[in-house]
Amino acid sequence: MKLPLIITAAFLAGGLWAAEKIDLAKRREHWAFQPVTRPALPAVKAKAWPKNGLDHFILARLEKAGVQPAPAASARDLQRRIHYALTGLPPSGKIENPESLITKLLATPQYGERWARHWLDVVRYADSNGLDENAAHANAWRYRDYVVAAFNTDKAYDQFLIEQIAGDRMEAKDEARRRELFIATGYLSLGPKVLAEPDKVKMEMDIIDEQIDTLGKSLLGLTLGCARCHDHKFDPIPTADYYALAGIFKSTKTMESLKTIAKWHENPVATPAEKQLRAKHDALVAAQKKVISAFTDKANAQLLVSLKVEKLPATPEEKYPKPTKDELTKLRAALKQIEANPPLLPSAMGVIDGNATELPIFVRGDHNTPAKDKQPRRFPQVLSDGKPLAGDASGRLALAKWIADKKNPLTARVMVNRVWRWHFGRGLVATTDNFGLQGEKPSHPELLDWLAGWFMDNGWSLKKLNTLILSSATYQMSTTASPSAMKADPNNVLLSRAPLRRLEAEPLRDSLLELAGMLDKKIGGYVWTFENYKLVFNHTSEDATTYESNRRALYLPVIRNHVYDLFELFDFPDPGTVNGSRADSTIAPQALYLMNSPLVLRATEAMAKDVLKEKKLTNAQRAEQLYAKIYNRPPTATESKRAVAFINEFAQDRQASWQALAQALVSSNEFLYLK
Amino acid sequence: MASHQLITSRRDFLKRTGTGFGMLALAGMSKSAQSAPVPHFAPKAKRVVHLFMNGGPSQVDTFDPKPMLTQWHGKPLPVKNFRTERHTGHAMGSPYKFKRYGQSGLPVSEIFAKTAAAAADDLCVIRSMQAEVPNHEPSLMLMNCGDGQLPRPSFGSWVNYGLGTENANLPGFVVMCPGGYPIVATRNWRSAFLPGAYQGTHLDTKHTDVTKLIANIRNSRLKADQQRRLLDLTQALNAKHLKERAADPALEARIQSFELAFRMQSEAADVFEIKNEPKHVLDSYGSGTHGRQLLMTRRLLERGVRFVQVWSGNGQPWDNHNGLAGTHRKLAGEWDQPLAAFLTDLRQRGLLESTLVLWGGEFGRTPVAEYPALNGRDHNHYGFTCWLAGGGTRGGYAHGATDEFGFRAVKDVVHVHDLHATMLHLLGLDHEKLTYRHAGRDFRLTDVHGHVVKELVG
Repeated sequence: MKLPLIITAAFLAGGLWAAEKIDLAKRREHWAFQPVTRPALPAVKAKAWPKNGLDHFILARLEKAGVQPAPAASARDLQRRIHYALTGLPPSGKIENPESLITKLLATPQYGERWARHWLDVVRYADSNGLDENAAHANAWRYRDYVVAAFNTDKAYDQFLIEQIAGDRMEAKDEARRRELFIATGYLSLGPKVLAEPDKVKMEMDIIDEQIDTLGKSLLGLTLGCARCHDHKFDPIPTADYYALAGIFKSTKTMESLKTIAKWHENPVATPAEKQLRAKHDALVAAQKKVISAFTDKANAQLLVSLKVEKLPATPEEKYPKPTKDELTKLRAALKQIEANPPLLPSAMGVIDGNATELPIFVRGDHNTPAKDKQPRRFPQVLSDGKPLAGDASGRLALAKWIADKKNPLTARVMVNRVWRWHFGRGLVATTDNFGLQGEKPSHPELLDWLAGWFMDNGWSLKKLNTLILSSATYQMSTTASPSAMKADPNNVLLSRAPLRRLEAEPLRDSLLELAGMLDKKIGGYVWTFENYKLVFNHTSEDATTYESNRRALYLPVIRNHVYDLFELFDFPDPGTVNGSRADSTIAPQALYLMNSPLVLRATEAMAKDVLKEKKLTNAQRAEQLYAKIYNRPPTATESKRAVAFINEFAQDRQASWQALAQALVSSNEFLYLK
Repeated sequence: MASHQLITSRRDFLKRTGTGFGMLALAGMSKSAQSAPVPHFAPKAKRVVHLFMNGGPSQVDTFDPKPMLTQWHGKPLPVKNFRTERHTGHAMGSPYKFKRYGQSGLPVSEIFAKTAAAAADDLCVIRSMQAEVPNHEPSLMLMNCGDGQLPRPSFGSWVNYGLGTENANLPGFVVMCPGGYPIVATRNWRSAFLPGAYQGTHLDTKHTDVTKLIANIRNSRLKADQQRRLLDLTQALNAKHLKERAADPALEARIQSFELAFRMQSEAADVFEIKNEPKHVLDSYGSGTHGRQLLMTRRLLERGVRFVQVWSGNGQPWDNHNGLAGTHRKLAGEWDQPLAAFLTDLRQRGLLESTLVLWGGEFGRTPVAEYPALNGRDHNHYGFTCWLAGGGTRGGYAHGATDEFGFRAVKDVVHVHDLHATMLHLLGLDHEKLTYRHAGRDFRLTDVHGHVVKELVG
């Protein structure tokens, strides 16, 4: 008797839930859905302090709270900070003025590598699929290289995001551009997929869901995925909006085959040279085959004569005279050699349009319970006119342009906030990937809008935005908090001082190798060869990855469910999901890593050898060298004395002593943190 | 409050609670200090062991006998099958026999006969568990983090946040999983928005060598006294660095973390070095992986580690969609003797009464067989079994009930949130008061749900 009761209750609850309609007009009032405003610079008392517009907003708030901004950072600290901010590598050489340093570093290829990594966090980049079938994304690196190049060439951000969503739908003036645009769409394909899902419709809908989730969080700061099963609990995204968007991705070809184990689609990206090479190879193979067949024809004819028969025996080659046999073996070996290692025709993860179609709402996210009506493809109503898309294409290009439109209130805000987060450790909106009603409110709403407007006015240029921020008085403050600042702004929300930042995983590793003189600064490509689609690491197979390379950390493989231990220890984000704000943990295993790991020991050993290379130096001079290398400053008199005493007492083995000193320096907070 | 006062109070706080590094972490320092690692009321349990049967063990084949199911074996159930992940068919009686054990007469399947013989009267079996969906990932997240979808801190993180650690030389939350990770991997023991110090430290217990169990636990070049001198120099550099600026919790935490790491090198080596245990102890736990895991668990508990989670293995071993009869017997067989030894050992050492043991999966399994093989069971979140032992729970007791076929919890339903609320209660923590402010609101393990199930308390 109980069962029907419960069914009734569930039915009622479902009914009530469905009846509760989202009031779009009211929900549009949420700050992030309002058009970007163009606030005037607020008046400030300390007129000499601001270096550019953004400083006005920070200073005005500080003055209102009665807090003095921290004094300017020392030239050395600033040098180090700017180096890491723009290249992820330690400074070397003499102190430069910040303006010329910023310009110089923005022009180095290391800038693109550093900033590509930020973006890769956002787009859940990985070199393997993860989940149950951890298949190799052997071509994901092409997308990574595309991102590096985009930052280095300062591709306009609106253009950048359109290419990633719909590059395949864009005009290409030549083949190189076509390849680039194909590769860009890797953005949509990089997500984790359940490749062995037995229910194919479910697999497809899960992949679409992942794409919508990534698109929403990474570009709009919206958790659109929540609307798959029910109207979004917090944001004005009705389920109908979700399936309208899902129709766009359902009309897109992401997968080559859904048959277990499913395969994702890849777009052809061979260069003319590569195609030519392949054609040449194919021609060589054909030619050699022709030579062989001519040879056997001739040998067969001779065989008929020598055997005095009219019909060839079943296995004529066995009857060939020895020299003929030998010659044939040679010719076949040559063919085998030519055939081995054919030049591959490269392809890249990415999408193209499939058959344009529409989806019904799947009640409670279950494709077994489709609603009657199909949802025309369109954009979320809260941010658009909700009109159905025209035309027979998937609608991705229209979607991309709608996101990149200057009128979209979220796109520029979300991106400037990300950049702010990467410089200051916290966004003006702390929840970088959620600008919805559940996200945090901006700490400086006018500044956020001013920056968003500035960014769009300046051609969506990230180099310009970085320059603006890095040359601001706000950025160039020291990290020292005055007692009054500690009291009025204990969590530094008002930015009364620069935040103290720990080196992230990649800069930490790259710095150790760089200081050891071991870092290989080659740009682009990959360090890891693995057959595409092959399982790289699963719960039963052994780990097939290696991280021994001396290339920059950017190029080390990112294996889902099995991230490189150094990355994992130092807060590398979960590569299966959008993450614009890495954690910043302090745990004992990090200390163990710095104390005992082979990488640290290898690097410090090289530093010790280097400092001992010059025979005639005193210990004090060597200590000075080491300090200059690691801290970018000379030791104080006390430090020098202490270092020399340490060297004299530590061990008989001089190299071991110098290695220990180097290790003490790279394990210390002065090295690990950016003041 | 002036800055030096902030720091002073933090240090005082550390001294007072003796939590050392465990409480010192980056984010929200002052907030976590306010919510103080002191129980809300007198606790019955001080620490937790979570034995995770990942993949989902079948309740009707372990601790929830269903004679009716055996009667209907091979026939369609007289009621409609509930919708689970996959297509299911007729009733499938348990391939195992049940027997009553202990003074309580608790019925237990033959595949856990040794555990039952050793500890039936300690077991508090909850037969009316319920989760939310029949899929692994969200159910693992619900059981471990209290929410099927959103990134929330794990149970072990919450307990460490609430109570702190009793041993500054070891992590407060240790996770053992032989062979790598269960599915969704480290998300099962993440700290999410709680300070990173509370996240689980994972050990791959397929290894027996301590240097493989904990990465970088030994230095290949330096003697202990040399390493100490090196660390002293680092700390002197850090002291200078710290003095030049207003005190910063991040820097202090870093300084502490090196000291913890240094101490861990000797302490961890000791705690995981089980070969020095007396022979009769080693014999009772057996030579298998689970015996080793549970013996290490006991040694961690003895040393004040707050939360130990022990997994059945990587992936989802108990997920027996087919061939259940053989695989469940094999899996239970690997646990049975070590589990019996572990519970007996804890009892004999007087640890059981203050140690809360939880056994169970992320959900249970259907009483009906799954197509096409029809010799295994599908996922079932409508009703399943977990058991608690020790830590102030009511031993020799079976709580709630599923329907007569074991499909769905019908009597005294215990949702996962209720289980969490009850376990926190046993630890002296009010689940509604154990909160952490993040993104502008106070979060808790049980979200807005959860009721303490008083009947489970002894």
